[in-house]
Amino acid sequence: MKSFLGQRAIASAISLVALIVLVFFLSRLTGDPTTLYLPVDASLESREQFRKLHGLNDPLIVQFGRYVGDLIRLDFGESIRRSEPALDAVLRAFVWTLQLAVITMALVTAAAIVLGSLAAFKVGGLFDRIATFFSLIGASAPDFWIAIVAIVIFSVNLGWVPTSGTGSVWHWILPISVLFIRPFGLILQIVRGSMITALSSAYVKTARAKGVRNRPIIFVHALRNAMLPVITVIGDQAAALLNGAVVVETVFGFPGVGKLMIDSILQRDFTVVLAAIFVTAVAIFLMNILIDILYAVLDPRIRY
Amino acid sequence: MTHKFGRISAALLASTIAGSALAQDNSVTIVLSEELDVVEPCMTSRSNIGRVIQQNISETVTELVPGEGLQPRLATSWEDMGGGTWRFALREGVTFSDGTTFGAEDVAHSIARTTGDAIVCEIGAKFFGGMEITTEIVDEHTIDITADPAQPILPLLMSTMTVVPSETPMDSFVDTPIGTGPYTFDEYNVGQNIKLSVRDDYWGDAPVVQSATYVFRSDSAVRAAMVKTGEADIAPNIALQDATDPDMDYSYPNSETVYLRVDNMTAPLNDVRVRQALNHAVDREAFIGTILADGTLLATGMTPPSTIGYNHDLTPYAYDPDKAKALLAEAKADGVPVDQTITLIGRTNNFGNVLETMEAMLQMFQDAGFNMELQMYEVAEWENFYSKPFAEDRGPTMVQAMHDNANGDPVFSMYFKYHSDGLQSGTTDATIDDMIAAATAATGDKREQLWSELFAYIHGEAVTDVLLFHMVGFSRVNPRLDFAPTIKTNSELQLSQIAFK
Repeated sequence: MKSFLGQRAIASAISLVALIVLVFFLSRLTGDPTTLYLPVDASLESREQFRKLHGLNDPLIVQFGRYVGDLIRLDFGESIRRSEPALDAVLRAFVWTLQLAVITMALVTAAAIVLGSLAAFKVGGLFDRIATFFSLIGASAPDFWIAIVAIVIFSVNLGWVPTSGTGSVWHWILPISVLFIRPFGLILQIVRGSMITALSSAYVKTARAKGVRNRPIIFVHALRNAMLPVITVIGDQAAALLNGAVVVETVFGFPGVGKLMIDSILQRDFTVVLAAIFVTAVAIFLMNILIDILYAVLDPRIRY
Repeated sequence: MTHKFGRISAALLASTIAGSALAQDNSVTIVLSEELDVVEPCMTSRSNIGRVIQQNISETVTELVPGEGLQPRLATSWEDMGGGTWRFALREGVTFSDGTTFGAEDVAHSIARTTGDAIVCEIGAKFFGGMEITTEIVDEHTIDITADPAQPILPLLMSTMTVVPSETPMDSFVDTPIGTGPYTFDEYNVGQNIKLSVRDDYWGDAPVVQSATYVFRSDSAVRAAMVKTGEADIAPNIALQDATDPDMDYSYPNSETVYLRVDNMTAPLNDVRVRQALNHAVDREAFIGTILADGTLLATGMTPPSTIGYNHDLTPYAYDPDKAKALLAEAKADGVPVDQTITLIGRTNNFGNVLETMEAMLQMFQDAGFNMELQMYEVAEWENFYSKPFAEDRGPTMVQAMHDNANGDPVFSMYFKYHSDGLQSGTTDATIDDMIAAATAATGDKREQLWSELFAYIHGEAVTDVLLFHMVGFSRVNPRLDFAPTIKTNSELQLSQIAFK
């Protein structure tokens, strides 16, 4: 296991370095932040002063060398717009995104596994049809539309929950509900399909022949074997959330890393973009390790 | 299960009622369209920073009041001493929120900091570029401010100068602004809110609003919904499609002017008949009340009608495609290459329905006989077309832009947009250069007259560009407030001007 983790860490570090180099140079191709930071009426002298202060006049290779030198000390530099260390801004936002992702994925996983398993137990039955119908709608409905409609119905018309913000537990209900829908629909379908295969396996038929009741058959024997593809998809969906739930963060005013990253790209705040990519990439690397460990826990045949 | 749902519903209802009850006191919540990157007083020319800080935390030396003109604020009077120097008498008995006494040294420090090169301040870059400002402290409450070259509107320029204590660092932005305004900056919960509360030792009248919370939502529909539900009291900026409640929604002239900057240096656009044809080809009236808001005004000048010297006698070019075609034919007969492809460049997300507006205009130009193509660019790329240096091989281009001037004087616009050396000027006209220089140097009625003549020359004779619209903005205001947005709401929101019904 240790050697496996070491190999994964080395491979991820190489990918991370390549990603940072790529993003550094690609982001510089998007334009000069001076034009966005200063008003269009700013004089040429002011623009020159801005570039000089932020080292934007130096050749790109010099800027890159300086950046790498700082990065070795985990110093991502100052945010041009925010006048604070870029890593501070990213870590502050990432905590919000992490909370949102963990709560949402925990709820999604629990609900999708239970309902997907029950739907697979009697394929074509009423429960299966209802679950399939709503999960397909959930997997295909656009987030921004659901978010706005949810605000209109549950906040403006019914007044049950606040429209947006982060002030209390009630503020989390709508964002989590909206984020829940899409991965729930997708994972429920994966669980259902995987469980249908598992429930038709020989070991399940044997268990039934031996008189084992339905609940242990579904949730002990079949589910454990059906979980491997489900975990893969859960990991994929969780990675998407860790990258930031941009639409939900934007609509509900959640100060997460996705919105920070998009804003920073649009504003050419290069240091924040690179710090955000670094932090999310490390988080996704750690999550992938966790998934690999889970594989081994669920399937004793898998050994690293 | 039913009981559980009932309990949850009751809890939610209680929470909502509690929230509403909180909103009934003498505090206000204001929802802004974006979070503040910085809370630095020298950056208050950015709309949302200005709405939080300007005149609430940090006051300016003078103040431009809509309908009243330039008024005293931290300066009580000013006098032209000649040679580019103005003497400002400063208000006595004023203290900063940290308890220190306000005086001439603070003004001198603020000017040096804002216009210096240790940090890049937007106020310095926007209003004080191309000039050197020096100060001399006469006494504790009198200061001489000198501009080189001389600025007849220096007192007006001082309406943009926010004053900070002399202890404020020269080389870094502050994260807790201290000012002489009626409110103190209490806390900034990054990503969530900013809180201000009223001072009890403010030099002026005590405000009614005792505290304010600013929150940030990017989506206009959400901002509007927040005021509707009582979660917020003012959304200073909402989209046209969200301004659906006549009891809450206000439209106001937002000091923005939309126009097409025409490249007067490149054929066929260097021919005045072609530029006249462009102006006659656009049915400006057709946009208003359809894809642009009712209340939008047709523009005959680069600045809003409330600006001094705005020429109210000018009339917009009539929509007359036949005349446009005739002008093009006349130019063509004289050898002007009117068939050449003209590139119309638009800026994405510049204002609501900008793409629809540009596409409609493209169709109008093509109907009038122009060979034109539309390219829409995101702001950073668009800026490369809008500001000098222009590309040598650019070909004939027209750039759509929206220009903001809420400062009451055309000087903030005309040099940049029309002078031969102006950063966004599409023309090189010696007459315009001379007229700008004369108007800039003049004062009083003469100044107003000279600006007015310049507007007439640009609109009627030089026809340098296609002036389109003076825009309106929309705010949603909770009916419990006694507050009406004005042209200044685009750049500041004085809590002391808000009362409760």
